Amino acid sequence: MLRLFLSLILAVSFFGSFSAKAETELWGDYSGVTLRVKLIGGGQYEGLYNEVIPWWEENTGGKIEIVTQKNHFELDKEIKKDIASGNLDFCVASNHTSFAAQYGSIYTDLNDIMPASVLADYTPLILDHSTVDGRLVQMPRHSDVSSLYYQKSLYEDADNKANFKAEYGYELTPPDTWDQVKDQSIFFSNPPDFYGTQYVGKEEAIAGRFYELVVANGGALFDEDYRPIFNSDAGVESLEWFIDLYNAKAVPEGVLNYLWDDTGLGFASGTIAMNLDWAGWAAFFNDPENSKVAGDIGLIRAPMGSGGLRTGWSGSHTFSMTETCPNKDAAASFLWALTSNKAQMIEARAGLSPTRPAIWDAIIAEKEAEGDEFMLMVFETFKQSLSLDAFTPPLIPEWIEFTNVLYPELQAAILGDKTPQEALETASKKATEIMEDAGYF
Amino acid sequence: MKKFLNGPWVLILPTIIVLTCVVFLPLLISLWTSFTPFKLTKPDTLYRFVGFRNYERLIGDYDFWVAFGRTVLFLTIALNLELVFGLGIALLINKITYAQKTLRTLMMFPMMFSPILVGFQWKYIFNDNIGLLNNFLREFGVINPIPWLVDATLANISIMAAEIWSSTSVFAILLLAGLMGIPKDPIEAAKVDGCNSWQVFKNITLPFLMPFIFIAMTIRSLDVARAYDIVQMMTGGGPAKRTELLWTLISRTGYVDAKMGMANAMSYISIFLSIAFTFFFFYKLMEARKILSYD
Repeated sequence: MLRLFLSLILAVSFFGSFSAKAETELWGDYSGVTLRVKLIGGGQYEGLYNEVIPWWEENTGGKIEIVTQKNHFELDKEIKKDIASGNLDFCVASNHTSFAAQYGSIYTDLNDIMPASVLADYTPLILDHSTVDGRLVQMPRHSDVSSLYYQKSLYEDADNKANFKAEYGYELTPPDTWDQVKDQSIFFSNPPDFYGTQYVGKEEAIAGRFYELVVANGGALFDEDYRPIFNSDAGVESLEWFIDLYNAKAVPEGVLNYLWDDTGLGFASGTIAMNLDWAGWAAFFNDPENSKVAGDIGLIRAPMGSGGLRTGWSGSHTFSMTETCPNKDAAASFLWALTSNKAQMIEARAGLSPTRPAIWDAIIAEKEAEGDEFMLMVFETFKQSLSLDAFTPPLIPEWIEFTNVLYPELQAAILGDKTPQEALETASKKATEIMEDAGYF
Repeated sequence: MKKFLNGPWVLILPTIIVLTCVVFLPLLISLWTSFTPFKLTKPDTLYRFVGFRNYERLIGDYDFWVAFGRTVLFLTIALNLELVFGLGIALLINKITYAQKTLRTLMMFPMMFSPILVGFQWKYIFNDNIGLLNNFLREFGVINPIPWLVDATLANISIMAAEIWSSTSVFAILLLAGLMGIPKDPIEAAKVDGCNSWQVFKNITLPFLMPFIFIAMTIRSLDVARAYDIVQMMTGGGPAKRTELLWTLISRTGYVDAKMGMANAMSYISIFLSIAFTFFFFYKLMEARKILSYD
């Protein structure tokens, strides 16, 4: 703070073909400062760094040294090891709202660093989700929520319509409930060539999908004291949805080994009728070079459970600043740049959901001007999903550990090794042990 | 002091210092952590002594003992199959008089791949939907895809296939070295005396090879007992823990759940497994050497 000055400039920014509302910028002169950063890597994440890092370096005179760039699960392990060894020699790291609570107090409270006028540019609810124990420990980069992609032509086919109505007694339209998803998946499936749907089948991924279905079915994972209560009617109903699809061969048999890439590539291969997925795949799905369903994609908000709620497991990719960072002003400036209007517009053009309201308006205006009906549908649908349906998992340090005891039991029930009740009972006992150890009760 | 400085202690002091820093100290620290609730994300827990609580929990942990048993079974089957295949390859290559060096080099190719890459390639081969194997079988009329990485037995066989593909050449190379070192005289004498090929192999070649076999077994038993990358890549220990081995369980407990104290307690129990296998193979090695009158 003494050596360098922080300039707050209120300016109107122009980026390419759109004009966003006035943005509070956070530039400064950081000549001679090098920030060591640990970033999430992978195709969908790295485009941002290629543009924003040179931009920040050019405007501030500072340098960015990327210490680590790896997938989030590997980065998570590395940061845990850093905490254990007390070796927090970096300033900025990628983070996620579902992971942040694990890291204790290693990250700075950005309420003390970021000017209120900067924070005012982000969606307030997402800043709430980025807050752990009253401390804003991360700046949101883009948000995740899933909507339902489907092959339009299946619903336009006259034979399909007639046969479905004859078999199930109601019209074949894109599903509004998860029970309809099940019916339609079974109807469309013709294994091993074609499947009605699919789901991510292991680790946090299936635990999260189960969680959102429990909520949509009117249940919850924990009570107010964090005692597990998912071993309930809503829990059993949710788990049976996965089991029924698996037993009906309406999902690929290897689905329990699938993660996000497998489901995304599966839908693009044209062998899946419906796919619940995030916005980041939209452009890929509609690219004829990569996808067999390009030009034939419909998209709707996630369907509802029996409790009348739509599924909406949500979270945000973020960036955090360590408490040990020797130059917090420079790091704050870099955090702002990584999540600025310019940065979010870069990612929005790739289909990712921004965390600044101004960018939602800007990207929708841009797609309207371009006449890009597909991406316009994508942004409008995901905007609705995020504003109406999204909810986070419990933002507690034990979330990942909890999912690690839950998912093998879900798998055991899906494979028929246990009944749904037995599986949920076992998971509930293990979850209770975790929560007891953590001192919740 | 002067006597000490001139004595043999000075000569072995560097070794003692290095071993203490690199081996004994980390072992002691990890042993200590197994008596604490140490979480990576809560460094203060390193200093909270909880006695044998982690070990007591493990004794009653059904999942841990299933993973332990599966690891023993996996070790036993994989090592024996690698021995059989490695011995077969070594015997065949030993017979060849043309391009033997080229074949020896080719044989080592699987060892050159990182285990992570091996895991990826075999995961793709065994993928139920787009995998090479199921598509190949489809050409022969197997319409329903086989869930290689889902069915409990098939998934373990699939992982074993990858492990065996990756490491059989270790056996083959060591046994080939043994075969090349066998003196020709006893074999020729046996043939002159009318022994057939099987009798020569059983009564002369195999006893000469036994020390090499047990050395290879010892090395590979330690490798397989640490099997992690291939399993992690192919199934992650799932689904429903059907392919869970000790090291996938320990790794998840230590690095994902961050419960390093518990993970180290698991590791110390599993070390007994490695010690048991090593002791057994060394004992057999000594016996084999005695038969050959090496000692």
